[in-house]
Amino acid sequence: MSTISIEDEVIDRLNAILGEDGAVLTNKSSRFNRARVPAPFPVHRWEEFIPDIVVLPRTAEQVSQIVKLANEYKIPVVPRAGGTGLADGAVPMKGGIVVDIKRMDQIKEIDLVNNTVTVGPGINMQTLNRSLKKHGVIYPDDPASYACALVGGRIGTSGLSLLGARYGHTRDLVISFEIVTPTGEIIEVGEGGGRKVRKSSTGYHLKQLFMGHQGTLGIVTEATLELVPRAEAEFAAFFLFEDYETAYKTFALIAKSGLATLGGVMMFDPEKVDYLRRDDEAYIIQPDWVKAVCAASLFGTKIEVEVGAKKVMELGRSLGGRYIGDEIAAGDWAARHDRYANPLHGRDKDGKVVPMSWHCEDAAVPYSEVPEVLRKWHEIAKRYVDQYDIFDDWGAFQYTNGAHKPWADVLVEIDMGLWEDRMDEESWQAFVSLKREIAQVAIDHGGSMSSCHGATRAGDAELVPTEMGASWEVMKTIKRALDPNNIMNPGKQSLDEAYEEVTA
Amino acid sequence: MSGEYRFGRWVPAEQVPPEAERVTDQVIQRFEHVFEVDPDLMGRHFNQQKMATWDTKRIVAARWDHLDAVHAEFADEVILAGEGPDPGPTTSQEHE
Amino acid sequence: MSNEHEHNESATAPTAATAATTVDLGTPQFLGEVEQAFVEKWHENATGCFSSGHKFCREVCPVTQVTRNENHTPTAFHANVIAMEKGHLTVEDVADDYVHCTQCGGCEVRCPNTLMVGDFYRARTETVKVVRAMRAMLVDKGLDREGWKVWNRLTNELKNEPVLGVEGDSPNAQAQVRDWAEGLDIPIGGDTIMFVDCEAAYYRTSVPRATAQILQAAGYEFGLMNEQWCCGGPAGEMGYVEQSMAFARHNVDDWRKSGVKRIIAIEPHDYVHFTEDYPAYFGEEFDFEVVQIIDLVAELIRDGRLKLTEPIDRVVTYHDPCRLNKRKGIHEAPREILRSIPGLTFKDVDRVTQWSYCSGGGGGLPIEKPEITAEISRRRLEKASELEVDTLVSACVWSERPLTAAGDEAGIEVKDIIELVAESAGIEIGGRTRA
Repeated sequence: MSTISIEDEVIDRLNAILGEDGAVLTNKSSRFNRARVPAPFPVHRWEEFIPDIVVLPRTAEQVSQIVKLANEYKIPVVPRAGGTGLADGAVPMKGGIVVDIKRMDQIKEIDLVNNTVTVGPGINMQTLNRSLKKHGVIYPDDPASYACALVGGRIGTSGLSLLGARYGHTRDLVISFEIVTPTGEIIEVGEGGGRKVRKSSTGYHLKQLFMGHQGTLGIVTEATLELVPRAEAEFAAFFLFEDYETAYKTFALIAKSGLATLGGVMMFDPEKVDYLRRDDEAYIIQPDWVKAVCAASLFGTKIEVEVGAKKVMELGRSLGGRYIGDEIAAGDWAARHDRYANPLHGRDKDGKVVPMSWHCEDAAVPYSEVPEVLRKWHEIAKRYVDQYDIFDDWGAFQYTNGAHKPWADVLVEIDMGLWEDRMDEESWQAFVSLKREIAQVAIDHGGSMSSCHGATRAGDAELVPTEMGASWEVMKTIKRALDPNNIMNPGKQSLDEAYEEVTA
Repeated sequence: MSGEYRFGRWVPAEQVPPEAERVTDQVIQRFEHVFEVDPDLMGRHFNQQKMATWDTKRIVAARWDHLDAVHAEFADEVILAGEGPDPGPTTSQEHE
Repeated sequence: MSNEHEHNESATAPTAATAATTVDLGTPQFLGEVEQAFVEKWHENATGCFSSGHKFCREVCPVTQVTRNENHTPTAFHANVIAMEKGHLTVEDVADDYVHCTQCGGCEVRCPNTLMVGDFYRARTETVKVVRAMRAMLVDKGLDREGWKVWNRLTNELKNEPVLGVEGDSPNAQAQVRDWAEGLDIPIGGDTIMFVDCEAAYYRTSVPRATAQILQAAGYEFGLMNEQWCCGGPAGEMGYVEQSMAFARHNVDDWRKSGVKRIIAIEPHDYVHFTEDYPAYFGEEFDFEVVQIIDLVAELIRDGRLKLTEPIDRVVTYHDPCRLNKRKGIHEAPREILRSIPGLTFKDVDRVTQWSYCSGGGGGLPIEKPEITAEISRRRLEKASELEVDTLVSACVWSERPLTAAGDEAGIEVKDIIELVAESAGIEIGGRTRA
């Protein structure tokens, strides 16, 4: 929005609901700072993505009243947790009220008998786990943004955990949660009923409906999470390969090994290895023959991990993979969290360092399709890199996708650099079209265009109906039924279509 | 991991970084195992900053301490294979 | 709705709200000369943050942990630079936001742009410098905060910070600057001088007394300055750059006059100012060696020059002062010292976890936002309580005032590490630990 268009009366009523100074923010810095997320951003159109009002609630009751008020005035509502998502879930497309839930960050109950912890959605996983450590338990939801993502955002995006093969992803680790619906009702959703029940056969399984909705179906206000016994031991091994194909086959050998302690299997393709040689201390020193990397991690009791480690070493080498050595293996595994987003990874055509924004296009595809998908992706990327001065291909990696079932579908991500500083409308539109082409390839190969980031922004959003197929109609019906005024995060995932048909 | 360097003692003459040696066509190093971008790649679109020796040492030490802490975050103990790097393929051009 | 619609094709949300307040957000505003220079200087650093936007800084930021307001995050401090550059925000729009910072440096060290590749590219995130530059601009434009104005005016008058209160006639001037040393017989000048910062000189005098007597017991020669003024660091932190430089000039001239070669910084902020600001102010002219007291004391104990003989029957944890741990990488020496004190039970929390700890006492925050400082300290003591300790040990006299206030509530005593060393060396410290 380029103007404020909210009545003073709305602001007064929001102040009355929030009941404390500094909880209803209308000044410019509050609004400009709640427009973007880490994903590439059309900086030249910043003012289009700012909210009119920011509120900082502390309770579900306040959130409920805010949403009811928004319905009354038909003002868009956009939930914002950490603002660390990569698909613009928290970016206001049509102004309105940003409900920033960072103040709802309390640990409400640690239940060591039933192994649950109940928290506000504004808490970060690392912060939570530091409080849990003394109890010998952990909430093992581990995205690359582990140290900055918040629980509410993880539910909103249905995120992927790097330890997912072992412990599951957000959708598996959140047992139940409280959510304020688009009409302001406060409800609890789980497998059936029962806040601490992991499996039920009662009613509809509403938990997964409200998981990964990208803020289009409400605002999470409390969550009851799994407490897993802390692993005694961790093991990580990296294997180097002369070609992609052998690494790819090794990936499957480890993924299908049946090792119950497997945390995940990962692979870097040749483009990724080339890219890592630019500035990654683990890869700068690797000899030229290294073209691909396959790695695996194990977590569990010491006795299990020690035995499993031997199996991983055997499988990793069985087709010719070469162990990277202890010194690098240990450091490199831990570094996977933080390395990804540095802007100086970027290079121009002459190889000079350029500050670039990190764009990663993620998809979930069947294992059999991965090589072909990657081949097409790099082809697309090359076309855009050649045509525009602002793109850079940062290579691709793949990661086991299924929770507890690492043996089949794969998370594939192509990372691209995008030089925001030089971006204009033409190159922004090129970026959107690049995204669309990449997403289409994933769908064409029987995959989903997003495993973990969401399909909320231009480039992906148009393809949601395509990917959903006949079930798109059901999705629109649900959206319309739950959000009659289209106030919850409008403009996302093509869901505005649900309302066009009604008026048509 | 951050031993050896005395962060609590600042001697002006020690703060100028030593001369660089080349590691790869894109990378140099001034301190053992501390890689740096070839300065020729910088400056066109992004400048290097003045960085005294103590600050380079501080960042490197912080990184290793951080990586240790990441391991400790998810497990009580890190088990290693107990092996160095495997030898590369004999027919390769790795030593060129 | 106003008529500012040209960018706004998609703004068709079913909104019935009518315009009561119209703020033009679409038309960029031109920057003045001062602002232009600021955004040009900080464009690259801000771009490094803005274009990645990962926000690893948020949860280590002690202020954001309390306010949970994204305006106060280091990410916002950089994004504002870009927004100003684009004409979206003015200095006035963000003035209050930049008060919310203790300059602890947690955000900088935790930022992957520093932590993972800052050394590689010789380019790291410099949020503290951005905050200081913004505050300097506030001073230039007369937008500086009232409390800081008073504090720095009094500092300029007294030549020391008004640590005993900005009202009334507290004995807090040059006439009292060496009162803490009464009876210790410390010479003036010499090769090595001990620089005693304002909080130690006037408020927690037990710290400089303990320090001086430890050095004397170890046979380490040192003197005091002829005329010691405030280091000038706090003025620099609050944006009063000229005042900061004038104080630095005075102190350097004083050191020259006595032929000083080495400065012992007994306080972490001073160590930062002497090793970062002073070299920036004076270039190669600044050729003094600077020693942080913790490093020196650890060495004296290690070398057997200082004998710790008296058991200290306490269960303690250590508070990593931000400027030692996050900004200067000093975290091993204090732990070495604590482990050498007989009788002490030391429950440690690693230095990386402590990147998110703070007392809230730095960067002028307690002057402008005392309630935030108090809450940061309360949370720090809460962490200590979980460890079931009776004492929280710090190595930063500025942290010890807010931590002590929170400790009174939590039933935990706050001690300076040097006080504990002195006690263990059998020294009667004297002085006082609070007003």
